[in-house]
Amino acid sequence: MLFYYLWVAPHLLLLGVTYALFRRRLAAVFPLFLAYTVLEVVQFAFLFTFSLVRYVSVDTYFYLYCVAFGLSTILRFGILLEIMGHLFKKYRFLETMGKPIFRWLTVGLLLVGLGLAVNAREVNPDHTLWLLVVLNRAALILQTGLLVSLFVFSRYFNLSWRNQDFGIALGLGVYATVDLVDAAIRSQTWLIYSNALNYMGMAAYHCSVLVWLFYLLAPERAAQPNLENVPEHNEMEAWSQELERLLHR
Amino acid sequence: MISTLIIVLLALLSLVFLLRLAKGRAVDIKSPDDLRSHIRPVDVQAFRNLTNPNEEEFLHAYLSPSEFRTVQRARLRAALEYVFCVANNAAVLIRMAEDARHSTDPSVAEAGQKLADSALRLRLYAFQASAKLYLAMIYPTGRTSSYELAEQYERMTRQGILLGRMRFPARGISSAL
Repeated sequence: MLFYYLWVAPHLLLLGVTYALFRRRLAAVFPLFLAYTVLEVVQFAFLFTFSLVRYVSVDTYFYLYCVAFGLSTILRFGILLEIMGHLFKKYRFLETMGKPIFRWLTVGLLLVGLGLAVNAREVNPDHTLWLLVVLNRAALILQTGLLVSLFVFSRYFNLSWRNQDFGIALGLGVYATVDLVDAAIRSQTWLIYSNALNYMGMAAYHCSVLVWLFYLLAPERAAQPNLENVPEHNEMEAWSQELERLLHR
Repeated sequence: MISTLIIVLLALLSLVFLLRLAKGRAVDIKSPDDLRSHIRPVDVQAFRNLTNPNEEEFLHAYLSPSEFRTVQRARLRAALEYVFCVANNAAVLIRMAEDARHSTDPSVAEAGQKLADSALRLRLYAFQASAKLYLAMIYPTGRTSSYELAEQYERMTRQGILLGRMRFPARGISSAL
């Protein structure tokens, strides 16, 4: 029962996320996130139906799952780029400095992920499936690394996020980190903890969708705090005189 | 197996970091009082003296090597404190500039954009300078000049003052930058 709830509920909530994107006129701002939510709902509809229909073979189901999984992974990277684009385009300096930093970071994380994949010990007789888990782990290392770096970077530079950007990145981060734990454990233990890991991954996905829904429905913070309504008694002119004296003495 | 454990540990730490971020976001500057409470005083001249290569050479020439290392480490620690203050002020001004960038007055918006770029550059310099100062504390006989940082800070504060005057002509902006 819990298994079906965790499988069905997030995808129904994703319909709400898609609706919120249109309702808040954010579909044009987040085209890749919109594509991701639509893809997730469509793939769920197909896979859920196929899991109930007996004449679809296990191989066909697995093939479809792999295709949907690959597309989801690509789109998640697209969402990351979308969020970075929103954050960086607000500042001229970051356009020139931030992009190269993240380009090199991507190369570094990719090398780490692929290095671990190449050196991974094969624990499953099904080579294709094992390869999929190891490649997924490499992709998740890259994704989590980029997301955490983006949060650290924006925190260090005290950058302001649009509410929805923050929420989408946060949801993606929660899912990616838990999925990375799942993939890392699975690459070593294979089927031993499979059931528990399935539940953990599904629960994390559910949380991510709730985070997206919350941030998409939450009102945007005022874009322009009212700096005009400051108390009259402040001593800004005295501050600047003191500062100039201090700087030029 | 060890690599798996490291990945799991790092992923869990990342998760905790993300959840903590969700609880509290960066500092908001909504009024000059907020600004005043977050800005820390910085004496640029004192910082210049601490990182002046001529003073360093003078100390090197007149002190014994062990005395020089002790004095130089103390000077570097003090310089590091200044860098932290500068970095903090730059972060506060980034947020202030962000608010100004949304102004309906084009000149204020432009000044906000310039201040944001200067403050971001300064914050980056501060990061680099602190790394350099930490390294210099390990090896105190190396060169530690951070003049560029002081000059960048002066440029940024001038832009901050200009922006403050544009937004609040009857008032000022800061006595503590």
